[in-house]
Amino acid sequence: MYLAEAEARIDVRPETCRPAPLASDRWRDFPHSTFSHHGEACCEIARQWVIAMDFAQLNGADLTSGPRWLRQKYKWGPSPWPMHWCEAVKRKSIDCGAHAALALEAFRARGLAAFPAQLVQRYSEEATEQWRGKWGQEDVSCHWLDGEHIYHEATALLVDEEEVKIWDSSAGSWVAPRQDGGYGSLVAVRIVAEGQFGGGDGLRWGERRIKPGVWVQI
Amino acid sequence: MKVYVSGLYCGGNPQPGVGIVRSLRQGYPNATLVGVEYTNRVSGIHWADLDDLWIQRPWDELDLDLYAKRVREVLDGGAYWISGSDLEAMWLASVFPDGHPNLLAPPAAALKRIAKPAVEAHRGLPVKIPPFVSSDLSDWELHAFCREHNWRVWLKGPYYDAARVPGWDSFVAARAALTKVWSTEKLFLQAHVSGYEESVMLAAYRGELLACVAMRKRDVTAEGKTWAGDVGPVDPGFEKELRRIVRELNWTGGGELEMVRDAADQRWLLEMNPRFPAWVHGATIGGHNLPALLVQGASGIRARPAEAEAGEFTRIVLEVPVRADYPLPALPEPFAGAVGHSMKHPSGLTSLAERLHKKDAELIGLVGDSEEEAADGRPEVPEVYLSDIGAIELDSLQTPQFLFFDKTARGLFKRAAERAHRLSTNEVQVVSGYSIKTNPDERLIRLALENGFYAECISLAEAQKAIETGFRADQVILNGPGKWWPEGMMPTERMHAVFCDSVADLDRCVAAIKAGEMASKHVGIRIRTPNVTSRFGIPLDSPETFAKLIEAVGRLPRDTAFGIHFHMASSNIGVALWWHLFESMLKWCRSIESLTGRPVEILDMGGGWFPDDWHSDDESKFARAVETVRALLPGARQIVSEPGKAMAQPSMALAMRILEIQEHEEDHVEAVVDGSIAELPMYAFQPHRILRQCGTTGALQPLGRGKTHLMGRLCMEHDIVAANVSLPQGTKAGDMLIFCDAGGYDRSMSYVFGRG
Repeated sequence: MYLAEAEARIDVRPETCRPAPLASDRWRDFPHSTFSHHGEACCEIARQWVIAMDFAQLNGADLTSGPRWLRQKYKWGPSPWPMHWCEAVKRKSIDCGAHAALALEAFRARGLAAFPAQLVQRYSEEATEQWRGKWGQEDVSCHWLDGEHIYHEATALLVDEEEVKIWDSSAGSWVAPRQDGGYGSLVAVRIVAEGQFGGGDGLRWGERRIKPGVWVQI
Repeated sequence: MKVYVSGLYCGGNPQPGVGIVRSLRQGYPNATLVGVEYTNRVSGIHWADLDDLWIQRPWDELDLDLYAKRVREVLDGGAYWISGSDLEAMWLASVFPDGHPNLLAPPAAALKRIAKPAVEAHRGLPVKIPPFVSSDLSDWELHAFCREHNWRVWLKGPYYDAARVPGWDSFVAARAALTKVWSTEKLFLQAHVSGYEESVMLAAYRGELLACVAMRKRDVTAEGKTWAGDVGPVDPGFEKELRRIVRELNWTGGGELEMVRDAADQRWLLEMNPRFPAWVHGATIGGHNLPALLVQGASGIRARPAEAEAGEFTRIVLEVPVRADYPLPALPEPFAGAVGHSMKHPSGLTSLAERLHKKDAELIGLVGDSEEEAADGRPEVPEVYLSDIGAIELDSLQTPQFLFFDKTARGLFKRAAERAHRLSTNEVQVVSGYSIKTNPDERLIRLALENGFYAECISLAEAQKAIETGFRADQVILNGPGKWWPEGMMPTERMHAVFCDSVADLDRCVAAIKAGEMASKHVGIRIRTPNVTSRFGIPLDSPETFAKLIEAVGRLPRDTAFGIHFHMASSNIGVALWWHLFESMLKWCRSIESLTGRPVEILDMGGGWFPDDWHSDDESKFARAVETVRALLPGARQIVSEPGKAMAQPSMALAMRILEIQEHEEDHVEAVVDGSIAELPMYAFQPHRILRQCGTTGALQPLGRGKTHLMGRLCMEHDIVAANVSLPQGTKAGDMLIFCDAGGYDRSMSYVFGRG
C-alpha cells in the first residue's frame, strides 16, 4: 500500500478537517504498512537477512519473545513511503509502520501467527507539534498526527488459541492491555486478522475481545 | 496502639520499614510508631511519621540475650512488632520459635520451609523454581552447571547478595568474596531466568491470609530493584494456593513472593521473603494497605480503609530534615589509596548472619535437603584415568610433566568414531574432524587417523604435520585466517575442504585455484556468529555485509562443491545456546543456499566442546541435528563435526610436586608447587580434577574444597594453579599432585617460562 493510495482514503489535512467523533475515525480506513518487493535479489537478500538475523538474536529464548533487536538496529523516525525491503533494511531510522512490518515478518518466519495491529494513542499537542516538525524537515507525510492523537502501528501475536499480545516494535515493548488514559495511552486498536482467527467473539487481548478488522475504543 | 517497625534503610536497595510506617500512619493516624534500627547511619530513622526511635547498637556489638529480653518486654507490654529485615526476622524466630501474639513475623518452622533457593513451601503454586545447585559440589560439577545454563547464572549468598558469573574466573572471585562477607561457604548457583519481574505481597495472622496483592515492576534500578510498578489483584488460582500455604505454615506477618514471568508466561519463583517488600506503600497507594490490615488482624482494631489513589506508583528522591537527637555520624575515611568509603552493612548484618549460623544453621536456609549428607567438593575421577595413571611410573618422574592417558585417549576416539558411524545415513555421512591446534601431539593425531577423523588445520604447518603423520591431503580440511602461513607449504594434492575466513580470503582462494596453486574438493566459507561476538568468519551483521557475502559466493569456482563452516566454543557460550546457534546457522545456510543457488554439500561445525558435554550428552540430540540438517539443507552430503578439546583434554594430565607447605594462622595452609600457570594456561577458564598421591601408600586421593591455594613456582602474583582446595592430612613437600583434564589447550598453549 502506497501512501498516495492511502491518502486518497482519508483526509490528510488536519488543519481543515473537523474533529472526528472518535479519535480513531480519522484513520478508520487507513491501511497498515507493508513493504514493496522489487522481485529481485536486492529485496530477497534483505528479507532473508531479517528472518535469519531475527532467529539468531533469539539466543535460545522462547519463540514468542519480542524482537527487541529491531529497535536496537533501527531508530524510530521519519521514513518515506513507499518503501522496498532493500531500502528499509539499509535505513538508520524507520517509522512505526516499517518497524511493525519487520516484526510481523519476523514472528511469521518463526512459525507463529501474527497480525498487523493499528493503534491510536494520545500524547499532547506539544508532542505532535515536535513530530510534525521533524517529519516535515524530512519532507515526509504527517498523516499520522492529529491534535493530541497519533496513529501508530504494532504487531499482534497469537499466543493462545484466541489470545493475542501486542508488540510495539518501535518501542521495543509489549503494549499493556490495561490502560488508564493519559499521556502515551492507547485510545483505540484494530487488529487486521483474516481467516480462522476472525470469527466468534474476536481475539482476546487482556480482558478485552477485539473483533478483527474493527476499531475498538479503549 | 504502639507498633515497632524495623528495616528503615532507604538506599538504592531499600528495606520496607519506611513504607510500612507510611502505610500504618494512613491506617492508624493516632498510633504510636517506633522505628527500630541498629545504626544511626540509616536515613529512614529521620522519616517524620515516626513518633519515636529505638536505636540499638549494631548486631556485632549487641548482647543478643539481653536484647531478646528487652524485645520480649516490649511485646508483653502490648506493642506490636513488624520486622523489615530478613535476618532480624530469623533472629526473632529463634527467640520466639512458636511466635508471640504481638510479634508480626513468621515462626521458625515457617522460615525453614521458605529457605531459598528451594522454597520448599511453594508446592501447589503455579510457579517453578529456577534450577540451582549448592556450591558444596565439586568445581567440576559447578562448571558443568554453568555450561548447562549458558553461563547465565548467579552465585547467591544465603540471605542477600548475588553476583552474575559469566565465566569461571568471575565465579571463583565471586565465591571468594561472598564466602568472606557472609562467613559461610553455603552459597548456591542459580540459573538466570529472563523475563518481567513481578511479586505477590501478603499479610497473614496465625495462618489466616488477610490480604494479598500483585505488583509488576514497571521501572527498575541498576540493581534490578523496584522503582515503579503497578498493583492489582492476585489471580484467584494463585490466591487459593497461597491461602492454603499460609495456613500450612501458620504464617504471621508480611511476606513477599518474588517472581519472574518469562516470555512463555511461566512464572519462576526466585524467593519468598519473611517480611513486607520495600514497595509496600506502593500497594497502599493502590488501595491495598497490608500493614494496616495485618495490625487490624492482630489487634482487632479497625484500620481506616485504604482508598486507591492510583493503580500505579513510582519513587522519587526526597531530602528530609535530620532529627536533632540523631545528628549525622562522621563519614569514615576512605582506606588509604582506595576509592569510596566502604560502608556496606553499617548495622552489622553480616555479623548477625555469622552469629545465627552458630545458633541454628538450618534456620538460615542451607541449600538442599538438610538430611542429605553435605558434599565435600571432591570430584569423581573416572576409573580409566586411574588405570592410566597406574600404568605410569610416577616415582622417577621429573616434574612438572605432562602424562599421556593412552587408554583414555583410545576410548574417546573409538567412541567418537562409532557415534559418527551410527549417525550417518545413506544420504548424509557424519565424520569427525580432529582439530590439530587443540593438541598437536602425534599420538593423538595418529589416533584421529586410525579412527577415520579428518585433520582440521588452521595453518599450512599444521596441514604438513597431519600429512607427515599419515593423513592424505584429501583428508585435510583447511580453515582459519592464517591458512596461507607459512608460505610454500601448500599441499600439492587436492585437499578435502577449504573454508574462507573473509571475502579477501575467498578471493585469494579463487585466484590460487585458478592459478593451479591449490586444489580442494570443497571450497566454502566460514560464517561469523551474528549474535555471539567472534573475530572469525565472514560477518552477517548487516544486510550490506550479507549482500557482499552472497556476491562473493557467486565467485567461487563451479567445479568445486560448496560448503559452510561455523565454529563457536560450546564450553564458553553454554550447551543450550550452542544448539540454538546450530539451528540459527542452518537457517543462514538455507538463506545462502537459496540466494546463491549453490547447495551446501559439506557442513563443518565446531566445536570447543567440554568433554563431558560431548561424550555424555544424549546422542538423540546429535541424531536430531543430523535430521535437521537433512530437512533444511537437502543437498548436504557430509557433516564434519569438530569435537575440539573433547578429544584432547581428558587425554593428558599434568604431574607436579609440592615444594613447600606454608602454615599460617587459624590452621590455614598454603602450598607451593613446581608446576605453574605456564603449564596450565587454562586455569582461569576451567577447573581441573586434582589427585594427590600419598607419599607413604602411593594411593591417589581427589582433592576436595578447602581454603588452600596451590601457588605455582613462578614469581608472578597470579600464578595460582588452584584455589580453594583442601590438602589431605599428612600432605608434605615432595608429594605429587596430578592435574587431570590438562590435555587440551593447557598442553598446546603451555609455554616455557621461568626455566632459565
